[in-house]
Amino acid sequence: MTTDEATKNEGEVQAAALAERGEDITPNKDRGVLKIVKRPGTEDASPMIGDKVYVHYKGKLANGKKFDSSRDRNEPFIFSLGKGQVIKAWDIGVATMKKGEICQLVCKPEYAYGSAGSVPKIPSNATLFFEIELLDFKGEDLFEDGGIIRRIKRKGEGYSNPNEGATVEIHLEGFHGGRIFDCRDVTFVVGEGEDHDIPIGIDKALEKMQREEHCILYLGPCYGFGEAGKPKFGIEANAELVYEVMLKSFEKAKESWEMDTKEKLERAAIVKEKGTVYFKRASYRVVLTCKPPALLASRGLSPWNPEKRELAVEREGQERSTVFHLDRLMLSSFPQAGKYTQAVIQYGKIVSWLEMEYGLSESESKEAQSFLLAAYLNLAMCYLKLREYIKAVECCNKALGLDQVNEKGLYRRGEARLLMNEFELAKCDFQKVLKVNPQNKAAKSQLTICQQKMKEHNERDRRIYANMFKKFAERDAKEAGKATGERDAEKAMCEKELETQVTEGKA
Amino acid sequence: MATEELEAIIQRCQILEEEDFKGEDFNLFQVACQKCLEEGYAVKVLEVFKNEKNKVIVKNMGWNLVCPLVRCILSYNLEDEKREHCLSILDKLVQLCNPKELLLGLLEQIEQASGEQISQTILLLLQPLQTVLLKFHSKKSYSVGLSLSTILNQLSLLPVPYTKEQIQEDKLGLCKCCSAVVGFAKPFVDQVVQSVEASTESDVRELKEELLKFCLKSLKYPLLIAQLDQLHEDVEEDPLRHFATEILDILINIGELMPIMFSHRGSRNQNWNNPHFLDMDRKHSADSLACLSYLVFVQYFGIDCFPMVFSPSYLLQCNMTHIEVLLKRTEESVLTKGLDLLGNCLLRNGDNSLHHQYLEFKGFITTPQDLVKVMTLCPIEHLRKKSLKILQLYIDKFDAEGKYTLFRCLLTTSNHSGVEGYVIQNIKNQIDLSLKKANGCKWFTGPHLVSLLDLVLLLPEGSETDLLQNSDRIMASLNLLRYLVIKDNEYDNQIGIWTELNKIEQNFLKPLHTGLNMSKTHYEAEIKSKKENRRVAHNSQTVCSVTVGGEKMPNMTTEMQLQVLHSALFTFDLIESVLARVEELIEVKIKNVTDKNIGGHVKHLMS
Repeated sequence: MTTDEATKNEGEVQAAALAERGEDITPNKDRGVLKIVKRPGTEDASPMIGDKVYVHYKGKLANGKKFDSSRDRNEPFIFSLGKGQVIKAWDIGVATMKKGEICQLVCKPEYAYGSAGSVPKIPSNATLFFEIELLDFKGEDLFEDGGIIRRIKRKGEGYSNPNEGATVEIHLEGFHGGRIFDCRDVTFVVGEGEDHDIPIGIDKALEKMQREEHCILYLGPCYGFGEAGKPKFGIEANAELVYEVMLKSFEKAKESWEMDTKEKLERAAIVKEKGTVYFKRASYRVVLTCKPPALLASRGLSPWNPEKRELAVEREGQERSTVFHLDRLMLSSFPQAGKYTQAVIQYGKIVSWLEMEYGLSESESKEAQSFLLAAYLNLAMCYLKLREYIKAVECCNKALGLDQVNEKGLYRRGEARLLMNEFELAKCDFQKVLKVNPQNKAAKSQLTICQQKMKEHNERDRRIYANMFKKFAERDAKEAGKATGERDAEKAMCEKELETQVTEGKA
Repeated sequence: MATEELEAIIQRCQILEEEDFKGEDFNLFQVACQKCLEEGYAVKVLEVFKNEKNKVIVKNMGWNLVCPLVRCILSYNLEDEKREHCLSILDKLVQLCNPKELLLGLLEQIEQASGEQISQTILLLLQPLQTVLLKFHSKKSYSVGLSLSTILNQLSLLPVPYTKEQIQEDKLGLCKCCSAVVGFAKPFVDQVVQSVEASTESDVRELKEELLKFCLKSLKYPLLIAQLDQLHEDVEEDPLRHFATEILDILINIGELMPIMFSHRGSRNQNWNNPHFLDMDRKHSADSLACLSYLVFVQYFGIDCFPMVFSPSYLLQCNMTHIEVLLKRTEESVLTKGLDLLGNCLLRNGDNSLHHQYLEFKGFITTPQDLVKVMTLCPIEHLRKKSLKILQLYIDKFDAEGKYTLFRCLLTTSNHSGVEGYVIQNIKNQIDLSLKKANGCKWFTGPHLVSLLDLVLLLPEGSETDLLQNSDRIMASLNLLRYLVIKDNEYDNQIGIWTELNKIEQNFLKPLHTGLNMSKTHYEAEIKSKKENRRVAHNSQTVCSVTVGGEKMPNMTTEMQLQVLHSALFTFDLIESVLARVEELIEVKIKNVTDKNIGGHVKHLMS
């Protein structure tokens, strides 16, 4: 007998023994997956669906031939449980294991690779044998930033998730420090949870949930109520929250390909409006804390609302809207960042619908362009507020791609660049703004800021170098002094030039 | 004389200590050496270099002498003994000179080469470069990375040989360079492998990262562009295929294969958090990763190290990003890779096994649209055919609802009559299957089907539709309608066609009649005028010119034009005859029902 045959026979004997003693763990009780515990677990806890699971394993074919082993690779194998990432037998089998347990699984082809097999190693209709050790497991980190950890209590149906704009019907319970602060059934649109005092983390998590799913969400402050907290619920600033959420049902928003151009344009108008509402609500907080009416009037072009037209509208409806927002503000002072994020969601929809649209009629194309332009400009504004300057610049670039001499686009790009300390580029942008519209006061003052910052920067550099080479500096003090004098003179010249520009502008 | 000048300088310098050298001494020495080399006195220079006494001055000449030396070597024939002398001088330089300076000198030479000299220079200098790098004790990773990326940048200027003959000829030496580079990298790979477990030294980690970058870059070019299918059962292995296996081996040996294959799904490991690496252009690494996936799944390179527990649908899902990247390109070899990878992943799944909700994952709905683009726009015939085959495979793998969604999507997005015709044919097959089952699937009977048929049984632009352009689609729709009328029992209306007849009449049949009449009249008039023109003026004035792929086609003669017009008329006749047949069937069946109803009614009255 050759060694090959020996191992083969041995394999078969083992297989038969396993098949005899194994416990059937399939839900259908069809003996498709049999399990034998080789070493019981050290703890009683089993992993939950969606958990990140760490295992070591070894896989053999019925003839005893090893086809795979994580130990050969010298690192544990990691996967998400119950998500269809692995063969069915594994999703079923590993879910039954306890931490530290070692077990053997016998998997019929229907629970493994079926008739297709898995080229090149697993033949068609193969029964597979595994030995698995469950090393560890932990909750699913939804965005890989530790901000939202999910543990699924009951798995949902299918693979479909609510998308942005979907209408969801959920039951939620909010906990903080062991106290339940919110418990209700609520129906809302994903991305607009803010309207219902639901933190952005829930919106984000819902996009990864399935119908009928019941889960626990651990939210970090940036996905919760943030810096502002939520007085209405008695939540202080930067609080960590725990929510239990049940997604009862949802209706998806249409995907881009399901809509024709007309529908996209109609929706773009609605969504733009929504975005603007969020954006303004975000700005109101700032405005109100600054005692608004007088301030608004005095600064016709506040940085939060650079559009005169919008401002006029606000002032017309001032009484009502101010009161309304004051109320909301006192009830629940919104986290500022939250609403810019929500506005970004709305404007982002316009981009996703219209950016790649082609084959439009002339009038449609014009309309689409104007929506896109507005969306990019507003996105830029939101990103500025969210301090994501690189994204802001990207959006401005896209806007300027549509309209080279767009005043707002240039201005906002300048602003973003200034905040990134790219003074030269920022200066260029503001100068371009003034070329387009010499009356733009804000751009003028930004230019001055640019100059100042450049100066400060230079001075700081000089100080650093001065410290570093103190000796040299002392030796060359005389010359350096002269140089500084020269440079100051140059700056004075620049400023003078700028002043003349300003006066010219006024004239 | 150059030799004498050199002799003179040597005489003077031999007695000096290192610190006593002046700048001008170096200059004179360099000029003299260069002159000697140029005038063919390499032996003399070699002699100088071999002399122990000249060690000091030679030591500082590395950077300066590499350039003239390389120029000389490349200019001599392989058999020329002067070439041998020069090579010996190069060896001496490598032995004696300051490695840092020499490194820069060598890289400069590699970088400056162009055309045919690119591969010659690389092949010549890899060995010395490796020796120099191995002299670096610590901090070598940066230099190794610089060398590798310089070499690959130069190689990316060379076209990838494509056919078997081109590969064998290897005119510009890309294949030779590829295998040489692997040899060049080997000691550094070994260093990483040896210390993988032992240490976490930053130098080793950095070296590993440089090697990883090298692998990714090689995957992007030349491997992504190369044709890597085993064309023949050749004994002699294809050098680019061999290069691919070597790159995979490096990835496996440095333990990075699994981490980078799963980098996109976020299970980053520790070394992955290096910001320097994340800075790497994402688009570039997308190409590289796509090529890597192709090598692992289609060519089975390194598959032994790949876990065999993933579900087939998950593999498809993971590869979808890569497939998207590949199908967006236009090069034949890249598109082939995309199609092969998609085909491979689909074949791992059973028919009807993909849940329709997979279509909501990124890429699942756009990929079939990409396939349609390849099918309709790609100039390479075998790719168009392959793409169609894979589209069918794609459809087959989804469950009924998935197929239904796919059909809807393809009908609304393809903008191509042939593709629409093909989809409609598929719909017909699904209805047929569904009718054969005991309790038919709800997606291809009843209300769901009716709403799908709304997209099929209509003329896109009413009676104004260009019937010729849309003939494929129209014929398929008419065939489907004929099938439905025959199959759907007029009494129990299982499919639901009978309640829809009015709408179909309005949206499809009526405008089709009008359209046919208009088109036929138009084309007949055209033929008539053509014939008259032919009689009146016998000159062949150009009526229209056709360009295909930028090339102007020969002008059509009036005869040819007539032929085209006639064939158009023939198409209209064909459509008309099928239309007539369908209407006839409908009429008969409706009459049956009314007769029976009236009959029943009469019977009722009589009783």
